[in-house]
Order: sequence, then structure tokens, then C-alpha cells
Amino acid sequence: MKPAIEHSLFLIPPWYSRIFPNNEWVLLIVLLIECAIFALTGSNFLTAANGFEVTRLVVEVGLLALALTPIVITGGIDLSVGSMMGLSAVVMGSLWRDAHLPMPVAICLALLVGLLGGALNALLITRLNFPPLIVTLGTFSLFRGLAEGLTRGIENYSGFAPQFLFLGQGYIGGVIPTQLFVLLPAIAVCAWWLHRTIFGRSLYAIGYSSEGSRYAGIPVTRRLGFIYTLSGLAASLAAIIYVAHLGQAKSDAGTGYELMAITAVVLGGASIFGGRGTVLGTVLGLFAIVILQNGLRLSSQPAELAGILTGTLLIVTILLDRFSKMRSSHRRIHTIAEKIEVKNSQVAVLSAVILIAALIVAGGNWLLAGSMRQEIRKLAGIQNQNAVPPTAVRKPVIAVMPKAKGDPYFISCRKGIDEAANEQGVEVLWDGPTDLDPAKQNEVVEAWITRGVDVIAVSVENEVAISTVLRKARERGIKVVTWDADSQKDARDFFINQATPQGIGYTLVDEAARILDGKGEFAIITASLSAANQNEWIRHIKARLAEKYPEMKLVAIQPSDGDRDRAFAETQNVLKVYPKVKLVMGIAAPAVPGAAEAVKQSGRTDVKVTGLSLPNMCKPYIHAGVIESIVLWNTVDLGYLTIYASRALSKGELRAGDSQLNAGRLGRIEIKGDQVLLGSPFIFNRQNIDRFDF
Amino acid sequence: MKLSRYKREISAALAYAALLMAVGVASPSFFSAANLSDLALNNAPVLLVAIGMTMVILVGQIDISVGSQFAVCSVAAGWLARSGVPVPLLLPCVLLIGASMGAFNGLLIGRMGLPSIIVTLAMLVFWRDALRWTTEGAWVQDLPTNFQWFGLGQAYGQLLIVAVAMAVLIGFSWMLRNLRQGRAIYAVGSDAEAARLAGIEPPSVIFNVFVLMGALTGMAALLNAVRFTSVPSNAGLGLELKAIAAVVVGGTAITGGRGRLLGTLIGAALLGTIGTALTFAGINPFWEKAIQGAIILAALAADRLIDEWRMRNQQ
Repeated sequence: MKPAIEHSLFLIPPWYSRIFPNNEWVLLIVLLIECAIFALTGSNFLTAANGFEVTRLVVEVGLLALALTPIVITGGIDLSVGSMMGLSAVVMGSLWRDAHLPMPVAICLALLVGLLGGALNALLITRLNFPPLIVTLGTFSLFRGLAEGLTRGIENYSGFAPQFLFLGQGYIGGVIPTQLFVLLPAIAVCAWWLHRTIFGRSLYAIGYSSEGSRYAGIPVTRRLGFIYTLSGLAASLAAIIYVAHLGQAKSDAGTGYELMAITAVVLGGASIFGGRGTVLGTVLGLFAIVILQNGLRLSSQPAELAGILTGTLLIVTILLDRFSKMRSSHRRIHTIAEKIEVKNSQVAVLSAVILIAALIVAGGNWLLAGSMRQEIRKLAGIQNQNAVPPTAVRKPVIAVMPKAKGDPYFISCRKGIDEAANEQGVEVLWDGPTDLDPAKQNEVVEAWITRGVDVIAVSVENEVAISTVLRKARERGIKVVTWDADSQKDARDFFINQATPQGIGYTLVDEAARILDGKGEFAIITASLSAANQNEWIRHIKARLAEKYPEMKLVAIQPSDGDRDRAFAETQNVLKVYPKVKLVMGIAAPAVPGAAEAVKQSGRTDVKVTGLSLPNMCKPYIHAGVIESIVLWNTVDLGYLTIYASRALSKGELRAGDSQLNAGRLGRIEIKGDQVLLGSPFIFNRQNIDRFDF
Repeated sequence: MKLSRYKREISAALAYAALLMAVGVASPSFFSAANLSDLALNNAPVLLVAIGMTMVILVGQIDISVGSQFAVCSVAAGWLARSGVPVPLLLPCVLLIGASMGAFNGLLIGRMGLPSIIVTLAMLVFWRDALRWTTEGAWVQDLPTNFQWFGLGQAYGQLLIVAVAMAVLIGFSWMLRNLRQGRAIYAVGSDAEAARLAGIEPPSVIFNVFVLMGALTGMAALLNAVRFTSVPSNAGLGLELKAIAAVVVGGTAITGGRGRLLGTLIGAALLGTIGTALTFAGINPFWEKAIQGAIILAALAADRLIDEWRMRNQQ
């Protein structure tokens, strides 16, 4: 599949194919179209502030994609970068907090870890001659596994010094995110290095033919070794910025980032077979994806569209590329040269285009954006739901975020949210990460701040990570409530409290003790080993056991990764390895039915299942007597109350110091301090479960 | 039969034997019949996907969209069953759905000549997000009672699943070895141009392989779904990496043209046993991923060391 080398090397191709050797202009058009559409449909899309926010979001993935570009150009790939981010993050965190090293030293050592990890890849790929895909697939598991093993999944390093956090959260000159000053030089250096130096050009030669390059005197193994090591280093640099951005270091940092980086690189026109690709293309590809996500969020379209559109875009661009290749290969034989040499003037153009692209993206054109807004609003009056005529009363906009959109638990909450929104006549935005991901939660809140909403209601995945951005929202005059799980106290106005971690842990243990008669062995099936809430509950479960039930023994905690089938397999193992276990406690919604099915199929009638789950999922097992009971609150009511409290807050009807809230069909709800109390957790069992449908 | 031809399978098998021995010493109850049958059942779906993946890799391509296809097929199976499609008809329906998703990949990769990793990367995000959009994360519940185990009861249902997986393994193994179509896969994977000159049509071979991959993914999804009474909407996350790892640990060359399904079976068994073995040996599950990664790298290194050792002996 390698492009054939043509004979007519000396003809100078037209200017556009010199700047865009791989049809990258397609992406520029895509970017412009995206910007145009979102300027019309989104709120505050085309503002400087949003532009800079977007650039803040691309930095981590951007660094990975930049380091990946030379690797793809040589025909290789590196899947391990996301996992390396996790490993570097926890190494830095533990060195700083547990080994009491000064921050700069910890950062240097984290970079060293990245360097070593990259070197391991490099060693296996160049010296032992293994395919990069397989090597990095192995280190993908290895690095993440080491990060989880070192921290036992639980450690969550936070409380970093403000000077360090400034790197990821601060603004230079009031508007420009600090990390932009890492990304821009990185882009410039990378472009210069790849396109202007002998070293960089030799990578293209290796990508065309590594054997041929060797005969031409290029030290292939050393060059390859260098770029894989560099990729490890870039991943650890990205990890440091990620940690500074979120204010916490955890083993799940950067999960899935490798796919996004690869998507950006191939979207940017780099050939996966090697020999082709530009830094400009990668940057454009990166912004095409990130602006798509940002724009969809600002125009309140479902985030799932981003994946669907990115997939389509990928296929369309490579199809276009394919057809233009096929067409030109008929004509080209005598005219256009395949090999393109880059000149100084072209580098100038290249950098200019990079800058322009960044500026377009940064929405740098204050004047244009400001003056056009009025016009656009007028034009888009019909399509735009937000542009309500001035005579109508503006509905308050309440933005509600679950921890994960696809989670059945939050889907049941949404029923109550929609119900209350209808009753109260408010507009609800429902958006959040598709999988548990604290970084994504921050992104969504940032987008809402940009968009401008009245109330933000968040179910917090990680309290340290989200609090900075929630404080920022409050500074901008947006009311903030947390629901389901709380942030730091000063980051929100009220917490809709359905249960504290302590309350959940204690109720679970008390229910387990009731089933087991206060003595015996039991096992826990948790979500993922690094899940923040579950680990908090487990802490309280252990405390309660030690305090009140010395004869009950927790023998195993197994992960399910939120996957029903994995919970099933883990429960089967637990039942065999610990035959004395008489109770399995699932503390993630899919874990309970998974565990119940395993118990049912094992035929062990002496083992019971309990835990935290949704009634509808567990109904058949509760009726069959496999699940004794499940602990939960009424999730529909939780969503309902969240909307009532949010609306009251936005209207000024709910103020600090109030002791009661009138919440529609729920009647008067007690407020204690800054917490709106839904009531204590509820125990569903065979007698009452049929009364609930969620 | 020269044993050295099977050295890759043998090195994987030795690693597997070592793992079994270690866990056997730590906890003899690992070898109870109940545990072995559970292991076989839990890994049968991965094995089916890995069989398809072996052929995809043999032909010199890769498919990283199988996890998302698996989820689409699972949910489709649930919806069909709930809407009253008779249980025996589920298998052809789901096979058809899987095969059409595979055919789309095959069209773009085989006919259009697009790079497989990009096409399937696009389909990975496409199918996953399309499914999230349509289901909104809701599980498929209230399935008819004869959905579980196809209504055959637990014992027969379990037997059926393992038997089907084994039959597919043996069938495809035989096909790859003896049929013209099977040999064509090796030929295209080794050198597509040479294969074309020898009268094989690489585009249609690649297309067919992707169709088979899709159908096998559908079959795996259905056989996995019938073990339960409801279908979650997030099934198959990370399945593609599991399948690729199993194929590679089993000694199939990622560059195509070399490898056997026997190796894939050993690879799938090895990787599928680690988690359970750790639980039995009482090792903390935190280390599972690290050990998995180490085993993939060790399998590679062993392969290379055996090569070098043989070279030295020949000299």
C-alpha cells in the first residue's frame, strides 16, 4: 500500500498541495463549517472565552497526538500513552505526598518514568523487532496495571500547591490558559523538527521503506527508539498538565486518550502505513474533534452525536483521500511530483496557518464575534430555541449533569427531572460524560459557563477535581447545586442530599448483618477498583464492621468495572474460593443482578445477595428469593427534588438559612444547613418492590 | 509432523501450563469440574470473537470495532426476543445483523482498499455512540422466559454454548487448513500481490473475512446474552483488545499470513484464566492488568528467545 515513488521529483507542485500535501484543506473546511453551524445554533460559541477554553481542553490530547504523529509517519503506533499518563500521574502524586519530595523533583521523576516507559517500548520494538501494535498493547495493560497496583486503586492524591495548579487552571493576562504556553511551543518545535530537520525528514524515509532507509545510511533503530521514548515523555508531560488541570492524581488518568489522539492524527491525513502526515494536519484534526464536542455541548445537542459524527468524518476523509489519489494517479504520472519538499517560505506559511487555525479556534476575532452576534441571532431566530422573543417570559435554564449519562441509575433520576421540569416550566439541559470521567465533567461545566445557564446541578464524580470549576461558575453568578454526590462545601450553594457515604455504608452493613444474623463471611463486588464513591462507601462499611459487628468478616472485594457480565464471573469465583461466604454485596447497580445470576446458576440456596441497585433490574431476583433486599433511595424523587430546589434557588425563593423547601408532590422537604434532605436510604424487599418502577 | 512448526503454540501452552501449575499448587480446588465449566462458559464468547479476529489478522488486517458490534448485537437480540421473535429464529437474525456490520467494514476495507485500523476505529466510536443514543443506557428487560438458555434449561444450555464454540473452532480450523478459501486467507495475508497473480481476488477474500468476523461477533453476543435474563446496553467494552491479545499470545503474526486457531484457543484460555487464577491464589485483583500486560510481553519475548536459541543450535 505504500505510495509508489514517482520519477518526476523536480517539478514544483502548486502552492496548495505544498501546504496541504495530504488534502488537509478538507479539515479546514470542516472546521469552518463546524464554526459556522455552532455559531448559529450554540450559545456563546464564537467568543474569545470559549475559544480559549477549547484550547485548554486540547492540550493533553494535543501533546499525545503531536508525539504520535512522527510515530505514525514511520508506520508505527503507540497505544500505551493513555496508560502512561495514569502511571506518571500516580508516581508524581505519591512522590510528592508520601515521599515528601518537593514538587519540581516529583515532576522531574514523573517525566523520568515517562521516559523509561517510552524507552521500554522503544527497546522491545527496535532491539527485539516486535510489531509496535503488539508491544504497546502489552504496555497499555502493563502501565495501567502498575498504576492501579501501586495505588491499590484507592489513592487519590490532591491538595497540590496553587503554583502548581496554576499550570492547569490559571490564566495568563486574565484570559489565556497557562497550558497554551506549553502546547503552542510544542506544536512549533514539532513542526520545525519534523518538516525542517534532517532527523525529521528521515522519519518519512523510514515510513516509506525502513529497509531502504537503512541502506541510505539512516540509523533506523536509533531514530525509532528516539520517537517512542519521546512519546513516553510526552505522555508524562500530558499527565502533569492533566493533574494540574483537575487538581488530583489518580490511576485512571488519561483513560481512552490514546484513541482520541490516534483519531486526531489519522483525521489529519497521516497514513497509518507510514510515510505521510503533517503536524498541521494533526492540529487541524485535533481541533475538528474538540470543536465538534464543544459545539454540540453549547448548542445542547446530545453528546453521542460527537462519536457518530467523528466516525463518519473519519471515513469520509479517508474516502476523499482515496478517490483523489486514484484520480491523480491516472494523471500524475507525468505531471505532479509525489515527493514534496518543504522550503523556508513554506514553513513560514505553515506556521502562519497554524496560528490562524489557532486563532479561528480561539475565536480571536472579538469584534467580528461581537458584531455578528446580533445579526446571527436575528437570522437564527427561528432555529434557535434560546432566542426567545423579548415579550415572552424567559424560562430559567437548569443544567443537570449525571456522573455518567448511560447509567441506568441516572436514567431513572431523569424521569423525575423531566417530570419536575414540566410542572415548573423550566428548561433542562441534560449532559455529562458517557462513562465515569472526572475530566469530562469539568469540560461540560466549562461549556455551561460559556453558554450561560441559570443553575448548574452536578452529581459529582470527584469532589476535588470539579470544585475549582464550580467555584468559577459561582463567580460568574451561576447558582450551583450538587445532587447525588457532593463537591467541596464552598463550591456550591446547596447539596441535594439523598444519603451520605456514611449513611449508605452503614445501612448496607446493617442490612447485611440482619440477613447474616450478625456473624459470618461476606464479599463485596464493587464497580472499578478506582471508583471514588465506592471506595468511600467501602471505607465506611469497614468502619461500621469494626465498630459494631466484630463477628462479620469481609473476605474479598472484587471489581466489576460496571459490567454485569464481569460481576457474574467474579461472583462465581468468590463462591468457589470462599465457600463460607453466605452473602454477596454488590455496590454498583449492574453488580447486583450479575451477582444474583451467578448465585442462582450455582444452585447455592444458602447464599444471599444484597447491595445498592435499581428495583427494576433486581425485581425478578427479589421475587425468586435470590436477592434478599436492595438499599437505595427513590431516584425519581431525587431528580424531582433537584429541579425544584434548583428553580427555587434561581428565583431567589431558596436562600441560605432556610429550613424548609416546598417541593411539589413531595411536600415540605427539610433543609439542614446547606443540605436539602431527601430522607434516609430505603430498603426494597419482596413486599414493597412492586410499588416502584424505575 | 515437525514439532518445531508448532513452537509458537507450544510456548503459549507452556506458559498456560505454568500458570495452571502455580494456581493448582496455591489452590487445588481450582480444578473442580464446576470451576472449569464456568471458565469455559465465561470465555466462550471471547473465543468466538477471537476466532474471527484470527482470520482478520491472518489476512493482514485488524478489527477494533468488535466490542461495539458485540454490544449492538446483544441489544438487538434482546429487542428481537422481546418483540416476539421465536427463540430459534434469534440466531439467524443476529448472525445477519453482525454479518451486515462486518460487510460494511469489509466493503470499505476490501473493496475500497481503506486501512482497516482507521475504518474500524471509526466504526468503534460510531456504533458505540449510536447505541448509547438509541438505548439511552437502558437495559433490555422483561425478556420472555425461554430467552435464557434458549429455553433448554441451565445444564443443556451451557452444554450447547460450549459445544457451539468448540464446533466453530474445529470447523474453522479445518477450513483454514484444508479448504481453498482457507488457504486463500493465508495467501492474501502473506503477499496480496502474489496472491492476485496466482488467481486469488484479495478484495473479495478480505470482504468475506470481515463478514465472517461480524457474524461470529453476532453469534458470540447471542450466546453470551442467553446466559442471563436481561441485556445490558454497555456489553463488550474492551472486547476488541481481549480478542487481539488472545490471538497474538497464541502466536499469530500481526503482519498476517502466519498462525493457527489452535494457538488462539490457547491464548484465549491463558488470558481468560488469569483473573480467576488470581482470585483462587488469593492475589489482590489490583495487579490483574499489570500481570496481563506482562504475559503478553513475555509471550512475545519467549517467541523471540526460542527463535534465537534455534538459530544458535543450527550453527
